[in-house]
Amino acid sequence: MSTTTTASPNEAKLWVGGKSPFNSEYGKVMMWYFLMSDAFTFGAFLISYGTVRFSTNGWPNSNEVFRSFPFAPEGVHAPLVFVSIMTFILIISSVTMVLAVHAGKNMDKQGVVRNMIWTIIGGIAFLSCQAWEWNHLFHEGAWWGANPFLNADGTASTTNFTNFFFTITGFHGFHVFSGVVINIIMLIMTLLNKFEQRGHYLMIEKAGLYWHFVDLVWVFVFTIFYLL
Amino acid sequence: MSHEAALHNHEGHDNHGHDDHGHHEHHDTFLTKYVFSQDHKMIAKQFLITGMVWAVLGGLMSVLFRLQLGYPDANFPWLESILGKWAKGGQITPAAYYALVTTHGTVLVFFVLTAGLSGTFANFLIPLQIGARDMASPFLNMLSYWFFFTASIVMMSSLFVETGPFSGGWTAYPPLSALHDASPGSKTGMDLWIISMALFVVSSLLGGLNYIATILNMRTKGMSMTRLPLTIWALFFTAVLGVLSFPVLLSGLILLIFDRNFGTSFYLSDIYVNGVGALSNEGGSAILFQHLFWFLGHPEVYIILLPAMGMVSEIISVNSRKPIFGYMAMLGSLFSIAILAFLVWAHHMFVTGLNPFLGSVFVLLTLLIAVPSAIKVFNWLTTLWRGNIRFTPGMLFAIGFVSLFISGGLTGIWLGNAALDIYLHDSYFVVAHFHIVMGVASMFGMFAGVYHWFPKMYGRYLNNSLGYIHFWVTIAGAYLIFWPMHYQGLAGMPRRYFDFSIWESFKQFADLNRFISTVAMIVFATQILFLINFFYSIFKGRKVTVLNPWESNTLEWTTPIRPGHGNWPGEIPEVHRWPYDYGKDGQDFIPQTTPVGEDEKDTH
Amino acid sequence: MSHTHTDQEAHNKEAMAEIKKVTIILSVFTIIELILGFWMISLTSQALILAIKGTIVILMMAKAFYIVAYFMHLKHEVKNLIMTIVVPLSLFVWFIGAFLWDGSSFRNLRNNYNPYFKEQATIKVEKKVEEHGAAKHEATDAKHETKHESVETKHEPTKPEVEPYY
Repeated sequence: MSTTTTASPNEAKLWVGGKSPFNSEYGKVMMWYFLMSDAFTFGAFLISYGTVRFSTNGWPNSNEVFRSFPFAPEGVHAPLVFVSIMTFILIISSVTMVLAVHAGKNMDKQGVVRNMIWTIIGGIAFLSCQAWEWNHLFHEGAWWGANPFLNADGTASTTNFTNFFFTITGFHGFHVFSGVVINIIMLIMTLLNKFEQRGHYLMIEKAGLYWHFVDLVWVFVFTIFYLL
Repeated sequence: MSHEAALHNHEGHDNHGHDDHGHHEHHDTFLTKYVFSQDHKMIAKQFLITGMVWAVLGGLMSVLFRLQLGYPDANFPWLESILGKWAKGGQITPAAYYALVTTHGTVLVFFVLTAGLSGTFANFLIPLQIGARDMASPFLNMLSYWFFFTASIVMMSSLFVETGPFSGGWTAYPPLSALHDASPGSKTGMDLWIISMALFVVSSLLGGLNYIATILNMRTKGMSMTRLPLTIWALFFTAVLGVLSFPVLLSGLILLIFDRNFGTSFYLSDIYVNGVGALSNEGGSAILFQHLFWFLGHPEVYIILLPAMGMVSEIISVNSRKPIFGYMAMLGSLFSIAILAFLVWAHHMFVTGLNPFLGSVFVLLTLLIAVPSAIKVFNWLTTLWRGNIRFTPGMLFAIGFVSLFISGGLTGIWLGNAALDIYLHDSYFVVAHFHIVMGVASMFGMFAGVYHWFPKMYGRYLNNSLGYIHFWVTIAGAYLIFWPMHYQGLAGMPRRYFDFSIWESFKQFADLNRFISTVAMIVFATQILFLINFFYSIFKGRKVTVLNPWESNTLEWTTPIRPGHGNWPGEIPEVHRWPYDYGKDGQDFIPQTTPVGEDEKDTH
Repeated sequence: MSHTHTDQEAHNKEAMAEIKKVTIILSVFTIIELILGFWMISLTSQALILAIKGTIVILMMAKAFYIVAYFMHLKHEVKNLIMTIVVPLSLFVWFIGAFLWDGSSFRNLRNNYNPYFKEQATIKVEKKVEEHGAAKHEATDAKHETKHESVETKHEPTKPEVEPYY
């Protein structure tokens, strides 16, 4: 990298070897590049969705499809409301994760524990919402290979709308689930004073990166499936 | 603050790692030393030998189907005894032919030239050449090998299922790959193929993340990025390509699994398939899979080629006793090849119904690759120019790589043009092109690497005379096999055909096909010679008695002849210069560890 | 890095303020997205809908930026780390562009050369009643049957001369 020779002396020193040029230990570097890689997995899914949608004449209207709400009486349509709640749950759990990482930096065990618990609760809440929505759609007749919804213009729809919806939200849900598992492990390790002994909470930071990534993917999935 | 602490620990591990590791050494059991080893050198050897097993199997498959192409009317009773019902009466059945071609392609591309090549040399060379005790995460590194091993086992098992392995070509295009009834191989064979590939993606991801983190984070003092040997740069870009492109294949395969088993129609539309009937699917696009596949598939070509390029650069410089010509240009061209690798995938799809205007953009981007490729070729040639060349077997293979890369690269310019490709697509011209430029050339890079670093791997030399025989037969054979295929392709001979003798237009090539098949068998036999040389030399080869047998500058030759886990017995050496100071200031070579003299001008 | 106690405290305050700010920004952007989404339901003008969708995409990118930059802390990392993330991400530009381009090209091809495909986009259908309920999912056999039926009925109108894009 030619920039190293021209950069300011401080920055140039980062690259001379014997230490991390990013001032981060290798685990965090690996986590970042793993997330890059995962971004390409999700990217490929969402781009495939776009490609198929662009090559099809009609497409169902998401406001017709996602308009139910738990415990709402039959006939009450509330498009976007339920998914907004899911989105806020994930954003809030992301915020508590940031707070946990922040507490970890200050070696504040209590803060880490409290915020990790909130994050885990948020994750489980999100998964529950998703389970309800999947179940509801299933009972409406939607599944992989079955699409009860019509296109927005009233013509027959292919099954690809539901195919992609279940595949992509399912893959995202799988990520949320593994994120919750990772967070629970982190919580247990915190409670066992593992990080106190190590003298740093870097593991929390890496788990946090993963959790934010899951939130980040939801921003895209939410927008693409429910709004566009 | 805590952050600092972790960083500090990490450095501490670097400096005093030896003590820990030395301590470990005594407790190594057979299992932890040879099987579940976390030593990067042992993992490299595991990758190499697994790759060799697959190379032999894949090569044998090519001999079998070349037998069919060369002698379409002959019967070989011994075929029935090894292939059973797949060669009733001593002649390979069409289904078996396609299965062999498919497995040959998959195995050679992924298992031999990806895992066997970059898996071996990235593991072996990265820590040794950058001055690290081991990979950033030896544990994940071990997992990477074992995921690869599991993938191999799954692929191997697909050879033994009743309906045979997948037979729709290594590109696995739907609908052949998506419909169970499309061919016998599309049943269980395809399921195993997908599982194997998914495991392989995990393996390459674990490996790739490790290589990147190691190269960035674990370099020894003084080893700035511009002092890295070109091997490391090439392996770095290889890892980046793998980390960013394999996940796209994974996505494509996941969608394929749903199409196969859960009634979706991502890739299937309302078409009529012979043997299956009219499909009830609607709205899918088979081209989508091709896009996803080639988004990996094209970078994959460079995943195969770049490590070979890096090793060849290093070997040519060492054995010409000259600094590599244009180090920064080499870096720049590696970088631009890595970027372009992601931008050109659809040039494999010019005849699929791709938008022609979009195709023309892909033509432009594809032809741009000629620029960095040419820069690299000229730099290798200029490095050789007036060098004090030592023709070791490794050097011969490196020069052979350059030759093959030029021959195969030039036909790439033909194929990169959409207008020409419409005529040449799926003909033997394509077969010749990619076998020379990617298959054989990378194989030569791999051989060059094995001959060059064998003394470091096993503390013994390979036999030179056998090496020379191996080289000359292989390079002559490579050209004799693939050069005629260009003419066959120009005459319109399509690839993937089982029997050309029934076509009036291709009857004229019967003798040529027999010639190609004969040469293929001779070349395959010569590779067996190499294997004998390899395994004999591990145990009985001439012992290495000097630390630095090639008089090379790089760090791996400062380790003991048989380095233990941790590589350097004492402190890791500090680096003071770039690795290509050959023939400088009247000295034949100046290792990287030599401090820069007072009156010396340091360029790197 | 030897922060004094007050340094640390000031730093903490700053960080908390940042978290608060980003949380508010993310919530506000989401609410704007939702308002736009609701508004879009009642609209009929294609141009206006397209403009709103464009706005939503921009808001989505902005949200992604705030999450990556502040929650994932990338903005406070070394510049070179940022570059190694951002440069490969730029590959998405051509990744998305080429895929969508070819997707819409495929639709044009089918509309031009596949009369059945084009016809399907003009026939309005009633919402199918028998598709309701979970019974449909129970056995794959059942699914196969319904599929076969649909194949036959489907192919009636124009199928004979349809072998278009091959």
